[in-house]
Amino acid sequence: MAKVLEGPGMGLLRKWGLQTPNYAVVGSAEELEQLAQANDWLNKSSLVVKAHEALGSRFKLGLVKVGLDLKGAQAAAKEMLGRTVGTLTIREVIVSEAVDHSEEYYVAVKSTRDGADVMVANCGGVEVESNWDRVKRCSVVVGDAPSDGALDALAKDAGFSGDLISKVADFARKLFLCFDNEDAQYLEINPVVLNAAGELVALDAVTLLDGDAKFRHPDWTFPFAAEFGRAYTENEEEVMAVDSKVKGSVKLIEIPGGDTAMLPAGGGASVYYSDAVVARGGKLANYAEYSGDPPDWAVEVLTDKVCSLPGIKNIIVGGAIANFTDVKKTFGGIINAFRKAKAEGKLDGVRIWVRRGGPNEKQGLAAMNALKDEGFEIEVFDRRTPLTDIVDMALAKK
Amino acid sequence: MSILATKETHVVIQGGVAGVNAARRMGEFRHMIQQPLNVSAFVYPPDAGKTNEVVCGNRLLTIPVYKTVAEATANHPEINTSLVYVGADRAYAGAKEALDNSGIQVVSMITEGLPEKDSKLLGAHARKLGKTFNGPSSIGVMSAGECRLGVIGGAFDNLVACKLYRPGSFGVITKSGGLSNEIIWICSQFADGITTAIGIGGDAYPGTDYVTYLEMFENDPQTKAVVIVGEMGGDLEERAAEWYGAKKRRVKLLSVVSGFCQESLPKGMKFGHAGAKEGLQGEGSARAKSEALKKAGAIVPETFGALGPAIKQTYEELVKSGEVTPIPELSEAEKPKLPRTVEQGMKDGDILVAPLIKSTISDDRGDEPLYEGYPASELINKGYDIPHIIGLLWDKRLVSKQEAEIIRRIIILSADHGPCVSGALTTIIGACAGIGLSQAVAAGLIMIGPRFGGAVTDAGRYFSYAIDNNMSVDEFLAHMKKNVGPVPGIGHRVKSLRNPDKRVKELVGYVKSLDLATPHLDFALEVEKITAAKKDNLILNVDGTMAAVLVDLGFPVDSLNGFFVLSRTIGLIGHWADQKRQGSRLIRLFNYLVNYAAPARREVPPLK
Repeated sequence: MAKVLEGPGMGLLRKWGLQTPNYAVVGSAEELEQLAQANDWLNKSSLVVKAHEALGSRFKLGLVKVGLDLKGAQAAAKEMLGRTVGTLTIREVIVSEAVDHSEEYYVAVKSTRDGADVMVANCGGVEVESNWDRVKRCSVVVGDAPSDGALDALAKDAGFSGDLISKVADFARKLFLCFDNEDAQYLEINPVVLNAAGELVALDAVTLLDGDAKFRHPDWTFPFAAEFGRAYTENEEEVMAVDSKVKGSVKLIEIPGGDTAMLPAGGGASVYYSDAVVARGGKLANYAEYSGDPPDWAVEVLTDKVCSLPGIKNIIVGGAIANFTDVKKTFGGIINAFRKAKAEGKLDGVRIWVRRGGPNEKQGLAAMNALKDEGFEIEVFDRRTPLTDIVDMALAKK
Repeated sequence: MSILATKETHVVIQGGVAGVNAARRMGEFRHMIQQPLNVSAFVYPPDAGKTNEVVCGNRLLTIPVYKTVAEATANHPEINTSLVYVGADRAYAGAKEALDNSGIQVVSMITEGLPEKDSKLLGAHARKLGKTFNGPSSIGVMSAGECRLGVIGGAFDNLVACKLYRPGSFGVITKSGGLSNEIIWICSQFADGITTAIGIGGDAYPGTDYVTYLEMFENDPQTKAVVIVGEMGGDLEERAAEWYGAKKRRVKLLSVVSGFCQESLPKGMKFGHAGAKEGLQGEGSARAKSEALKKAGAIVPETFGALGPAIKQTYEELVKSGEVTPIPELSEAEKPKLPRTVEQGMKDGDILVAPLIKSTISDDRGDEPLYEGYPASELINKGYDIPHIIGLLWDKRLVSKQEAEIIRRIIILSADHGPCVSGALTTIIGACAGIGLSQAVAAGLIMIGPRFGGAVTDAGRYFSYAIDNNMSVDEFLAHMKKNVGPVPGIGHRVKSLRNPDKRVKELVGYVKSLDLATPHLDFALEVEKITAAKKDNLILNVDGTMAAVLVDLGFPVDSLNGFFVLSRTIGLIGHWADQKRQGSRLIRLFNYLVNYAAPARREVPPLK
């Protein structure tokens, strides 16, 4: 799932005929001033300024300002731009037109196993979150589209009446078209509001697209945002850059404050290793994974980042019995990075725990074991030791 | 018995290199169970009409490649299963093509990164047709003793270690490829092994869910228990629990679910397979799934590590109740073995091979070439030069500094002789015709022969003959006149006594200035005195001079032309590059330079 920021998200909604407030994404207060010379709404309307970054709780951080005129918006933009929150620097703000409204509604489309659910509620904003039973849904089988009749019925079921029924149904129909054609996995418009002209307007949207479908959407020129409400770290971005270049995959997520570093193989086993650390009362310093027989140099880059995690005491080089990932080759990359890290003093007092099986396991494990002779604190186990026992041993030995 | 992949499975593989690798893995499995290969064909449009080589046992099979699935099934009507190995952008079309083929019942896809919508459409399409779409991102399907689809199971040694040559009693369903292999191993160590293990792929919405396969296992009498390795996200585990709890089931169900770490991670941080990242409203947690499975009566160990003992306990209960009869283990000698390659056999020291060629000068097997045993880098670092390498590779010896200097001078003197001589002219014509360096230079080198540059070896041979047989100059010239003809190395097209060849003078002068015995050169100069007296262009030419000097240095006669070939290659490369640099155009001979002496135009007589 790939999160899309408001700007490009709004762009997709407009592409599919949904109305959104006027908006502009800018990188400087000066740019906003230039835009105001061409766009009347920036001079006339009450404006909202928000940091255009993948951040949670923007309101609390003071990164959302409402009820501004152009001068106020410029001042807000100036104040927000360049601010740092954690590791993230705010580089863009989105300025949008406030829409006067009294009623708020909710429309969303969500991917399900059989297709998608279209969800509608006649309340919106925070109200819908506390009244989830008021959300009514209509399931659509993959490959189909909801009929007009079904959407009318859905709007009625959600408590809409009069001409709002057809307006809500039409809004939902267009949102579904956007969902289906843009390979979305989740589109949530909350709130949908009725403007003075009696039209439904999408005020705020959550847009999650299927990153795997990028190849058939040449107009997806925007970057995807981090999924977890913070910016990617430099190390994470570096590993992602390697990942996009190689066969197989390498992945890294850093978790500040942990002391158990993870360097396991495989998307399935890596989570069991993480579970084992947590179950043993350990604190994860990261999530990592390499799989699909990546080249040794890619694993070396990943290992380098893992060894650089601050305050680590153990490194868990775990893995199940590989089908086709070459253990000797991938371990070669790990060993190179270990040697470098050791020379740089990064592994002082760090114990390394290895468990692995798969093609060329004997040579790979022997090479790891030989690191003992170079002064590494390393314990090496083969397939006869159950998968996560190394975690038990690592965390038991104080 | 087994499910999904059986003795009756015949496969078409859609895809290129990765598909061929899978076929090879499948060939290893078939060898292990002593069955012929069950891959009938490949479909890969870029290679249509070619064949792929697949080893099965000790045989190299050629398997045809077709453009379409329809062509493959028309030619191989036994095909009932397709393995999809094509890229994510073409995988939907490929899998749909296979599903729509009436002969194909099962389509399993290993492709990762397939758009979710495509996966759902394929799953729905297969269900509508009553077929199975397994995957995407599936490592494959393994039915012990019967069939392997894809690379699941890993290397041959692992197949044997996991006793996959014969069926056991446990079914396995996992999302993770690596863990499928781990569970197969655990089942073989803690119980009697597996019937079938299926990788359903780690995506959010795999084409086929646990329930479909649980139904199949329930109907397979050989399978007594099923192990599910679950992951947080989605609702597949809950649906499996629902199925298991709905009524009394014949199979026992064991399951673990990953993702408990989620509970103590920063909010919103999810990782693992794509499917593990789903679950937007907090649903699909590892705990909820585990609880659901437990409630439905499944055996749910607390940790992955406890799965082995749980499987063991289940197995022992099955044995006790008589449902399972333990299978006697094979002895080491009875276990299947992969035919060894010649390389492996030689490494192990029990195969002797008669080599095809023998090389006595160099060795490339280390990290740098060895010339006559000396590492190239060490030669450089100790000050050796190109003439020494010539000595090592042409005559298997380290030449002295003095010899090296003579060789160096020979190379300099014969590196080029202008554009008009046969070799250079040919290279220039070639360069102007637009042909490449190696071809144009080779064309120039082809000119080297008895009349141009190629007389060095022959001159050396006859001068040696004379010295070896203690001939006088007169005896030698008589011998040559009677048996050979003109003396190689004597005579020049334009140079003469009055117009001497400076190169010869230079070389002779230098060599004579050294403290070096030069019987051949001395003899050659004596010969010149006689021949040049008869006709003033019958002088010792550069070929003859080089030959006499090199034979004096002890180089073998047969290597002598090499000095000219080597030296002149420098010039020929220069001429090619020179023409290239100028962007020279195609040239042809002017017809006024040809004496057209062929018969004049005349009428062709009627054909008889």
